[in-house]
Amino acid sequence: MAQAEPLLSLKGIVKTFSGVKALDGIDLSVSPGECVGLCGENGAGKSTLMKIVSGVYPHGTWDGEIRWDGAPLKASSVRDTERAGIVIIHQELMLVPELSVAENIFLGNEITLPGGRMNYAAMHQRADELLRGLGIEGINVAQPVMNFGGGHQQLIEIAKALNKQARLLILDEPSSSLTATETRILLDIVRDLKRRGVACIYISHKLDEVQAVCDTVTVIRDGRHVETAPLAAMPPARIVALMVGREITHLFPREPHEIGEVVLQARNVTCFDVTNPRRKRVDDISFEVRRGEILGVAGLVGSGRTELMQAIFGAYPGTSRATVVMEGKTIRVRAPGDAIRAGIGMAPEDRKAHGIVPDLGVGQNITLAVLQRFVKRGSIDAAAELDTIHKAMKQLSVRAAHPLLPIAHLSGGNQQKAVLTRVLLTEPKVLILDEPTRGVDVGAKFEIYKLIFGLAKQGMAIVVVSSELPEVLGLADRVLVIGEGELRGDFVNDGLTQEAILKAAIEPAHRAAAAHPNETASV
Amino acid sequence: MTPDISSAPARERAATAGADRIRQWFARYKILALLLAVALIWLFFTVLTHGAFATPRNLSNLLRQMAISGMLACGMVFVIIAGEIDLSVGSLLGLLGGVAAILDANHRWPIEATIPMVLALGVLAGLFNGWLSTYRRVPSFIVGLGGMLAYRGVLLGITGGSTIAPVSDRIVFLGQGYLPRLAGDALALLLFAVLAFVTARQRSNRRRYDLPVPPLWQDGMKIVGAGVILVAFVAILNSYGGIPVPVLLVLVLLGIFTWVATQTVFGRRIYSVGSNLEATRLSGVDTNRVKLAIFALMGLMCAFAGIVNTARLAAGSPSAGTMGELDAIAACFIGGTSMRGGSGTVYGALIGALVMASLDNGMSMLDVDAYWQMIAKGAILVLAVWIDVVSRTNRR
Repeated sequence: MAQAEPLLSLKGIVKTFSGVKALDGIDLSVSPGECVGLCGENGAGKSTLMKIVSGVYPHGTWDGEIRWDGAPLKASSVRDTERAGIVIIHQELMLVPELSVAENIFLGNEITLPGGRMNYAAMHQRADELLRGLGIEGINVAQPVMNFGGGHQQLIEIAKALNKQARLLILDEPSSSLTATETRILLDIVRDLKRRGVACIYISHKLDEVQAVCDTVTVIRDGRHVETAPLAAMPPARIVALMVGREITHLFPREPHEIGEVVLQARNVTCFDVTNPRRKRVDDISFEVRRGEILGVAGLVGSGRTELMQAIFGAYPGTSRATVVMEGKTIRVRAPGDAIRAGIGMAPEDRKAHGIVPDLGVGQNITLAVLQRFVKRGSIDAAAELDTIHKAMKQLSVRAAHPLLPIAHLSGGNQQKAVLTRVLLTEPKVLILDEPTRGVDVGAKFEIYKLIFGLAKQGMAIVVVSSELPEVLGLADRVLVIGEGELRGDFVNDGLTQEAILKAAIEPAHRAAAAHPNETASV
Repeated sequence: MTPDISSAPARERAATAGADRIRQWFARYKILALLLAVALIWLFFTVLTHGAFATPRNLSNLLRQMAISGMLACGMVFVIIAGEIDLSVGSLLGLLGGVAAILDANHRWPIEATIPMVLALGVLAGLFNGWLSTYRRVPSFIVGLGGMLAYRGVLLGITGGSTIAPVSDRIVFLGQGYLPRLAGDALALLLFAVLAFVTARQRSNRRRYDLPVPPLWQDGMKIVGAGVILVAFVAILNSYGGIPVPVLLVLVLLGIFTWVATQTVFGRRIYSVGSNLEATRLSGVDTNRVKLAIFALMGLMCAFAGIVNTARLAAGSPSAGTMGELDAIAACFIGGTSMRGGSGTVYGALIGALVMASLDNGMSMLDVDAYWQMIAKGAILVLAVWIDVVSRTNRR
C-alpha cells in the first residue's frame, strides 16, 4: 500500500451548534488506495464530520484544519469539494427516480451539444463504460432509475461519483438498503476502487463489512476522536468497547416495582417496506410485556424498532402482519383507535410530524384523544375539559403560560410532556414510548424518567424504544435487541452492558450465538 | 429606553418597531381590520356613486347577493381548514338549483318534497367527492376539477341548455321574500342577548380557570360595537321591506357553523386534522370519516345555495353558479383562513364574502367594465392574502 503523504488529513476539527460541541477535536487521515472505517454510535458525530469534509458546512463555520493533497482546503460549498474530487454517497439514495440512469449519472455535469441540447449519445456511451468498469452488466442506461432495485441504485450512485473523478469516496451506511448479495458486490467494488488508488471512508454499523474492506479503523464517541489503529489491531469486540466506553450516569431515579402477569403479547409481527414491498422491515418478531414491567427496545436507527411498534399500534403506513393479544384476548388492530380502545397507548418517535398538533392550544392537544368524554348535549363542556387539562398539566408539570397557548410555542420538553399527557389520559394498560427523550433537555429528561418509574409502580406495562443505550440500561427491566428487522436478543437487565447490546445489534443472530452462547438468548 | 432621534440606527429601530406594532395589531385584531376594510370599501363606493351605494335598497340587494356565496363560504371554510379544497361547488350549486327548478316547475313537486330531495342530493354529491378524495386517495383538487366539469355537464344535459321557469311562489319566497319588521326587531334583540350572554359566560369561565381574561373595556366595546352594528343593520333593512330571507338563512348558518367549529368535537377535529393529520390519526381519530363529513356538509351547503339562487332568479339557469367556487375560496382566504389548513373562522369567511360581494355590487353600479371588475377582484384577493402572510410571519 502507498504510504506517501495522506490525500486528506483532518486536524482538530471542532464544530459547535448553538453552544453545544458536536465535534471536539477530531483527527482523521486517508491515503490514496486506503479505506478508513469510521465507527461510532448514533449521534457520535459521524454525519456532522462528513458534512464538514464534503463542504455542506462551509469553511469558517467550524474550527480546525483540513489538508487536501498537501494544501489547505477551504471549501465554501459542495461544488468546491466535488471539483477537488471528494464525493459523498449518502445513506438515503439521492437519485431522481423518474430520470434515466445516464441522466442521473450526469445530473449537474451534463455533456451538451451547442445550444444546450443534451448529448445523449455521448452520455449513454460514457455511462455504459462506467457501469461496465464497475463490473455490472445488463443495465440499460436509458431506462429510468426507478426500474432498478436498491442494490443497483447504490451502484449507479457509485458510477455517478466516479464520473466526477472522485479521488476520495465517502460511503455513509451504504449497505443499509441492500441485500446480502448486493452488499457483497458493493464490497468487491470498494476493493477494486482501492486498487485503482481511490481513497475511501467507509461509515457503517456493520462491523463485518468494516472488517472486509477497511485497512484502518477510526472510532469516535461523543464528538471526540477515541482511537485510530490498523484493522489487525481492531477486532470487533474492541471496536464495540471503544464505541460505547462511557459511564452510565445516575440520571435514573429507579424505584422498585413489582412485575406481574403478561398484559400484551405481540406475535409474528412482520412489516413490509412501503416502497419496496418485497423487503421486510420487520421479520417475524414476537415478544410480550408484563404488568409493571419496563421493557427496553434497543437497536440501531433503521433496524425496524419503530416499525415494530407502529404495527402493534395500527399505525404502520405499509403492509404489516401481527397478532396482538391483550390480557389473553386477541384484538384486531386496524387503526390506532382500535389499539387505544384495547388499552395500548403510544407516544410517537417524531414529535413534530406525528405528535403535536401545532395550531391547537396545549390543552386542546392534551384532550385530543379523549374529547368525546366531555360532550354534554352535543357540545364540548368547556369547564369539564379545562378542569381535566389543569389537573393533567399539573400532574405532569407541563409548563405553559396558559392552556390555550399554541403548543408550537413550547419547548421540546414541554411538548413531549404534553404528548405524554395526551396518551396517559386514555388510561392505557400498555404504554409504548418511542424515543421519549429525543430533543429534550436534561431536566425534562429526568422528569420523564421519574414518570416512567412511577407508572410502572402503578402497574402499567411500559415499552421504551431508545437509541441511547444508557437510557435503555437505566430504565429497563428487560431489553429486546432488534437488528436489521430481526429479534437479535432478549436480555434480563442484570449486569447487562452496552457492549453486549451493541454486539447483539450488529452481529447476525447465528454468529453472535455461536461466539457468545451464554450472552445471547435467542427467542 | 429613551428614543434618540439624532442617531440613524435608533431611528431605524423605531421604524421597524413601528412596523412590528402594525403587524402585531393586524394579527391580533384581524377581524377588526377586515371590518375596517369593508367600511372603507363602502365609503369609497358611496362617494363615487354620490350616495346611491348606501341606500337601503342597494344594501339589501348587496346582502342578498352575498348570501349565496356566503353559504358556499360556510362549507368551504371547513374544507380549507381541514387542508383540502373543493372546486366543484359552483357547478354543484348550479346543478342542484337546476334540479330544484325542474322538480318544481316541470314536475310540480310540492316544496316540502323538493327541498329535502335537493338537500339529500347535495349530501350525496358531497359524500361522493369526499369518498373519492379520502378513501380512494384522489387529491381533492382533482376531484373538484373533475366535478366542476362533470356537474356542469349534467346540468346542461338535464336542462337541455335552456332556462327552467317559472318556479312556484313558495320557492321564490326563499330568495326574494322579506321577514316582517317585527320579526326583524325580535331577531336583533335575540342576537344581542345571545352575544352578551356568551361573552359573559366566557369571561367567568376564563376567570375560573386562570386563563387570560381580556380587559372589561375590550369586551364591553365588543358588545357595544356589535349592538350598534345590529341596530344599524336591522334599521336599514327594515326601512326597505325587512330582512331578506336569504340573509336570515346565512345568519342562522353563521350561528350553527360557529357553534360547530368552536363547541363540538367534530369542530375540534376539523382543526386538528388540518393542522397535523398524522398526529390526529395516532390519537385514535378516524380522520377519513372526519373529512368525509366535511365534504358532505359542503354538498349540503351547495344544495342550500342552489335552492336560494334558483329562488332569487325565480328560474333554474344552466349557467348558475359559474365561478362560484372561486368567490367562496377567495372569501375564505380574505377572511384569514390559513392555506396550510388548521386555522380559520366562519365569521371571517363571511366577512370575506361580504368584501367580494361589495366589490361586485359597487363596481357594477359604477358601470365599470367587466374586465376591470375581474382585475380588481383578483388584485384584492392577492393583496388580502399578502397582508395576512406578512402579519403572520413574526408570530412563528
